[in-house]
Amino acid sequence: MKEITRNWPFLGCLLVLAGAGIATPHLFGAYWTLVALNLAMWIALTQSWTLFSGMTGYISLGHVVFYGIGAYVVVATFKTVPLWISVPMGGVVAALFALIVALPVLRVRGPYFVILTFGVAELVKFIILNIETGLGKSSRLLFGAPGAQTLLYVMICLAIAASGLTLFAKVSRFGRGLTAIREDETAAETVGIPVARYKVIAFAASAAIPGMVGGLMALRSTYFEVLQVFNPIVSFTIVTMAIIGGSGDARGPLFGAAFMVGLSELLWANAPRLYMILLGLFLVGFVVFAPSGLVGLLARRGRETSA
Amino acid sequence: MDILFSPQLLFSALVLGALYALIALGLNLVYGTMRLLNIAHGDLVMIGAYAAFWLFTLTGISPLIGLPVIAVLTAGVGVALYSVLFRGQLEGTQSVAQLEANSLLLFFGISVVLQNVMALAFTASPRAYRHLDDVYHVAGVAMTGNRVATLLIAVLVLAGVVIFLKSTIYGLAVTALIQSRDAAKVVGINVSQVQVGSFALGFGVAGIAGALISMAEQISPFMGFPFTIAAFVVIILGGLGNIAGGIIAGVLLGFIEIYAVALTSATYRSILLYGIFVGVLLIRPQGLFGKTRGG
Repeated sequence: MKEITRNWPFLGCLLVLAGAGIATPHLFGAYWTLVALNLAMWIALTQSWTLFSGMTGYISLGHVVFYGIGAYVVVATFKTVPLWISVPMGGVVAALFALIVALPVLRVRGPYFVILTFGVAELVKFIILNIETGLGKSSRLLFGAPGAQTLLYVMICLAIAASGLTLFAKVSRFGRGLTAIREDETAAETVGIPVARYKVIAFAASAAIPGMVGGLMALRSTYFEVLQVFNPIVSFTIVTMAIIGGSGDARGPLFGAAFMVGLSELLWANAPRLYMILLGLFLVGFVVFAPSGLVGLLARRGRETSA
Repeated sequence: MDILFSPQLLFSALVLGALYALIALGLNLVYGTMRLLNIAHGDLVMIGAYAAFWLFTLTGISPLIGLPVIAVLTAGVGVALYSVLFRGQLEGTQSVAQLEANSLLLFFGISVVLQNVMALAFTASPRAYRHLDDVYHVAGVAMTGNRVATLLIAVLVLAGVVIFLKSTIYGLAVTALIQSRDAAKVVGINVSQVQVGSFALGFGVAGIAGALISMAEQISPFMGFPFTIAAFVVIILGGLGNIAGGIIAGVLLGFIEIYAVALTSATYRSILLYGIFVGVLLIRPQGLFGKTRGG
């Protein structure tokens, strides 16, 4: 507990963000509500990614699969199962899927793991696409989904939960175990860390919240199309945000998501190509010049001014 | 079952297999010598295709004649990327795992930039041109001139690269680097020179593949990605860094794809491709033929 309270600047920052998010629909209107929803979504996704990939060093390039599965659960049960059940169920199904694939997938290391996660996500995408085509549904419309304000409030809860989970993992015995796996998996195993169990738990935990986020975003767009929901760009954007923010702990995703959402607000509507080009350039730039991300840059600046 | 013995299918499988082998060759060279995972590889194919398109549309010169120019162009992109980004990465990064992870992220960034710069310059809409599309009938097989040319040139380039790697001192240096980087340094191989050469060769061959594809298929700024995936399937099947294994696996994937689609339906094509991809990684990540390098 002491270690969590030591992170008071982070917790304060999170509370201020959440408060601003809650106030947004009342103060700034519909457009900014959607921007806040976007920001909360990316924070929740990137925090979840950090919980597994940031800590263990197993880079997942397929996190969109959990998002897509959650969305599919909510869409497929729409109007038959109440949303307060189906959205959490999306998270549960995504986590279960992660548990099932974890054992074979997590045996694979390094670059194989990275491209494997991507391959699994694409495979699931095309299987669901074929199921939907078989059912004769090229896309589905959702009528009577809740409004943006409700979705925003739930999304803020998810963003806080994901941030809290990552923060908790970082300071706990569990998190130190994960970090040890990143540094040297064989050594971690030798000193008695239950490597396989930790990896599987972290993987499933990092799938649950994206599953719920996917369900909420399906409700937000009131429209479901497999290729769009399982778009690999989502996975890539998560990784980019995590790298730009600094993927080591819970602070990075806040910075990374805020930075990229800000950039996309400036550019996406008028110059989507330019936005993508900058996304690519920033990713390259941060990997080469600032591998510890914005968090690292700010920390260095802080040390220099205080010194 | 008659369909399995159709010479038409055999021809299609050979053409596709040769293209896959060609594209995967470049990916394999860059991975094998430097441990860089180039997920922008398909985008070099795309650039080669656009170069061929503009060469033909603006000047009327056949892409077949322009192949050397196109290869030099994409090789130039490779050399530029090596000099600006990857030389530093290769020298500065200590662990192989870190290098592989970083290269994946860097190449992803490059891929996004290349695709969107091309879309900005030439719009995102698909383009095509007609060249050598007369149909010939040989032994019951209907083939267009451009597909015959694709097959012949792909085989020639593959053979050329293999002979080059096997019989020239430079090629042997490449093979040595694939087998053991440290040992290659010890015996006095100029590693940096071999690395820039691998970039140029790998990217140049990708450009040639793109030019060949552009004669028969529509091209767009986002056409490269499926080729990247196919190339990854191929080099994993063949064993990362195993050049000969990669060529066999390329032809194999071409055959699997054409025959499986003919037996089932085109809607299963993507499931099949990713199914093989995931299956091989889970069951035999070292590939069907194993690695040529130790450890």
